[in-house]
Amino acid sequence: MSKIDLKSIKENTQASCECCVKIGMSTCGLAAGAEEVFKVFETEIKKRKLPLTVRKCGCIGLCCAEPLVEVNVKELPKVLYGNVDKKIALKIIEEHIEKKNLIHDYIYEINM
Amino acid sequence: MTEKIIYIKDTNTSKEDNTSKFYNAFEQKLQGKNLLDKIHLIKIADMGIYNKGITLKLLPENITYVNVKENDIGRIIESTIEKGKTLVDLHLKESYKQVRIALRHCGNLNPENIDEYIANDGYSALTKALTEMSPENVIDEIRKSGLRGRGGGGYPTWLKWKFTLEVDSEQKYVICNADEGDPGAYMDRSMLEGDPHSLIEGMIIAGYAVKATQGYFYIRAEYPLAIERIQKAINQAYEYGLLGKNILDSRVNFDLEIRLGAGAFVCGEETALIASIEGKRGYPRPRPPYPSVKGLWNQPTVINNVETLINVPYIILEGGTKYSSVGTEKSTGTKVFALTGKIKNSGLVEVAMGMPIKNLINDIGGGSATDKKIKAVQTGGPSGGVIPVNYFDTPVSYEALQELGSIMGSGGLIVMDETDCMVDIAKFYLQFCVDESCGKCAPCRIGGYQMLRLLEKISEGKGELGDIDKLKSISQGMQKASLCGLGQTAPNPVVSTLQYFEEEYKEHILEKKCRAGKCSELLSYYIIPDKCTKCGLCFKNCPVNAIKGDRKTGFVIDPDLCIKCGKCAEVCKFDAVTRK
Repeated sequence: MSKIDLKSIKENTQASCECCVKIGMSTCGLAAGAEEVFKVFETEIKKRKLPLTVRKCGCIGLCCAEPLVEVNVKELPKVLYGNVDKKIALKIIEEHIEKKNLIHDYIYEINM
Repeated sequence: MTEKIIYIKDTNTSKEDNTSKFYNAFEQKLQGKNLLDKIHLIKIADMGIYNKGITLKLLPENITYVNVKENDIGRIIESTIEKGKTLVDLHLKESYKQVRIALRHCGNLNPENIDEYIANDGYSALTKALTEMSPENVIDEIRKSGLRGRGGGGYPTWLKWKFTLEVDSEQKYVICNADEGDPGAYMDRSMLEGDPHSLIEGMIIAGYAVKATQGYFYIRAEYPLAIERIQKAINQAYEYGLLGKNILDSRVNFDLEIRLGAGAFVCGEETALIASIEGKRGYPRPRPPYPSVKGLWNQPTVINNVETLINVPYIILEGGTKYSSVGTEKSTGTKVFALTGKIKNSGLVEVAMGMPIKNLINDIGGGSATDKKIKAVQTGGPSGGVIPVNYFDTPVSYEALQELGSIMGSGGLIVMDETDCMVDIAKFYLQFCVDESCGKCAPCRIGGYQMLRLLEKISEGKGELGDIDKLKSISQGMQKASLCGLGQTAPNPVVSTLQYFEEEYKEHILEKKCRAGKCSELLSYYIIPDKCTKCGLCFKNCPVNAIKGDRKTGFVIDPDLCIKCGKCAEVCKFDAVTRK
């Protein structure tokens, strides 16, 4: 590969995650059940035909609140949910992603 | 659409959570002003601020108010929400925050996707180094950054690289030490799993700087996911021509392979690690010659820790001066800590060097996880020591921690509260080192075992006052005469607990008492007749039938049969079982 190729990859890949759900899938997350949560998001988002991508990422550091899910959708700031299980994952899809309502008691960080 | 977001949390963890009560009051007031559709009010799980009462944050202005009372709500709505004025008396101006350099991509990028990494400036540090900088320039940039070995020793990275570069040899090596073994430390694992490409980039840059063409990741086999992701990342880098021959048309060659560690703690020591890669038994050897002169297969070798290498691309890209602007004069940059033990937010944090320990524990870590007071922290794993609470003003830096008899170490930070016994802690770490001692040299092999016996004696209540002096003198012998770092530092937990908590040792010896209630030999369990409801739960759960009596006459514990497992105290719903 040359420098130019590197540049073209850079230009052609979406750098930021504008409409996406990111799930921490390192050992700490997986141990807390991130795999299951990931599957819920993947299948439900496909089923509901939502314009979102589901991505995995490394550990953000807040291991005590794993599984952590970062949700970034239009009209709402970037929100980090912690202690997400299957039930909360569904709630995030229904409330946060579809109805644009934040969910009480599970948010760990909000970034404008 | 909502215009503002206000989020609320009661940050006093020890008392009852008043978040909902405050939320309802706030909601009512907003409703009274017809503001509810403009403002999104939300209760959140964690604020990142602790023990400051009801805390609320307003977005998009990003104003934080702390210690808010219910009667402040009116003012907040009138001044801040309606007029945009900040209330000075409630405003929290600065809070201690994390600085993310080493963890910059962790939790942000998909570790299994090289394109995503490239899109976020990945491999541009490598491009810069290969096209614009000579190896000497690279080393000079690292010198400017002041980066020091993050594995614990704190040796200046640029010096290591310079020595290796200066040796004239056809073959040189770069090794990434990912044999993380300290109890309670998992920073390296997280970086290997979360950001493998930064590490690979750091390795290639290191290889270019010292003119090495082969690199090895030495990862412990207990990290299967880390190994999988690093291997995947290596394959992707080869596919893209970022590894192998003629990288980015620069005529630089670099190959990378993984070597697995079989779980020996001593293999984290550089000379033992090299022996292990060579296929020999993981024995350390005396230095000098240092690996930078005679390392892997007797060739000049750079060995760097995971966290050191992950900082390298950042330094090359952003410049050494920018990196050194964070931290203290002698300990620049940031350090990743793995907070564990009795702390509210256990996990990984990255802070600028020089942050006082108390802020690291209370503001970043959220303070004690229980209602018990924090007594000390243990840093540096089995080679480190304890730092008692009255030294919590100390800034985290290599020098300051060393002065206290502990070390920075790889970054494990275990928080201990009043229920942790210092003799027990010392015993735990020493046991670890005795298990992991390779047995090559006598001071470590025999000294460690003898010290452990003495500690066991003390914790069983059979100790004598002379044992403390014996512990001290064996410690000295081990520190001076052991062959490698493992033996030299193994007594550290004992030395530092003795330095700060000698009275606890003396209590065990003279009064046969363990104030933390940890040393089971020194405890006895009793049933308090006044509290006992004669439910018989303890009777049923005792594994050795040491509890006598029946539901009419009540129950007593037979001290001769009791094995002090604590099961009865655990199951009792009325706190009627006590230990003394």
